[in-house]
Amino acid sequence: MKTTIYEKDGSMVAVFEGRLDTAAAPQCEQDMKPLIDCAGRDIVLDCSALDYISSSGLRLFLGVLKSAKPKGVHVFITGMNADLRNVFAMTGLINLFEFKE
Amino acid sequence: MKALDGKINQKQHSDRRKSFFRSLVLPNDVQAVPQLNQFIDEICDSVDLDPAQTMQMNLAIEEAVVNVMNYAYPADVHGDVNIDVQGNDEQLEFIISDSGIPFDPTAREKVDTTLPLEDRPIGGLGIFLVRELMDSIHYKRVDGKNVLTLCKKL
Repeated sequence: MKTTIYEKDGSMVAVFEGRLDTAAAPQCEQDMKPLIDCAGRDIVLDCSALDYISSSGLRLFLGVLKSAKPKGVHVFITGMNADLRNVFAMTGLINLFEFKE
Repeated sequence: MKALDGKINQKQHSDRRKSFFRSLVLPNDVQAVPQLNQFIDEICDSVDLDPAQTMQMNLAIEEAVVNVMNYAYPADVHGDVNIDVQGNDEQLEFIISDSGIPFDPTAREKVDTTLPLEDRPIGGLGIFLVRELMDSIHYKRVDGKNVLTLCKKL
């Protein structure tokens, strides 16, 4: 599991690669810290190379959203495959995030 | 262990009708989850589940096992989690057991997935996913063990 954060066109982009399971979540949470700390810039969670996510990963995504919303920051999910999107649908998270292709 | 795994798989492929049994013991350490994922991948492969179903099975079993790892034993106490799998061409049955304190994950209140963001609790999705993804989930306390049985029809 690899998490890369960079800035692009005034947005913060996080790229997730591999399996975001319970074992990978603590390191990923550390790597995602800049997303929690940032203000005034929208956030893009690039999931095009994300193969798997379990509830510990969903919790991290939800945490980003919860910290962004009061700051007026938008959180977009891009490139998520149909299987993972199904997990977001099942848990109702699909209604909370903004999805982009 | 590797050689034994291979043998069981081979047997499974040569006689699809026959039921099979597989077992894995993990420490109560979430860093062992990749080992669990590999085990589940092998089982799903042996009953020809497609990638989407395999992902869902991994998710359900990871959530159930991690729940045990996190709650069955006091922090800093080493304990084991047993994962027994009984399968045939009709269903997969996972029996997850531990010798920890009595803990019934099925007694947890169901998460309301329709709540708006502000009211959404950050946790509790694990057992919710197990319920969603499996056909049945049963808990019992037997001989000082927590025994959680999950079933998936194929």
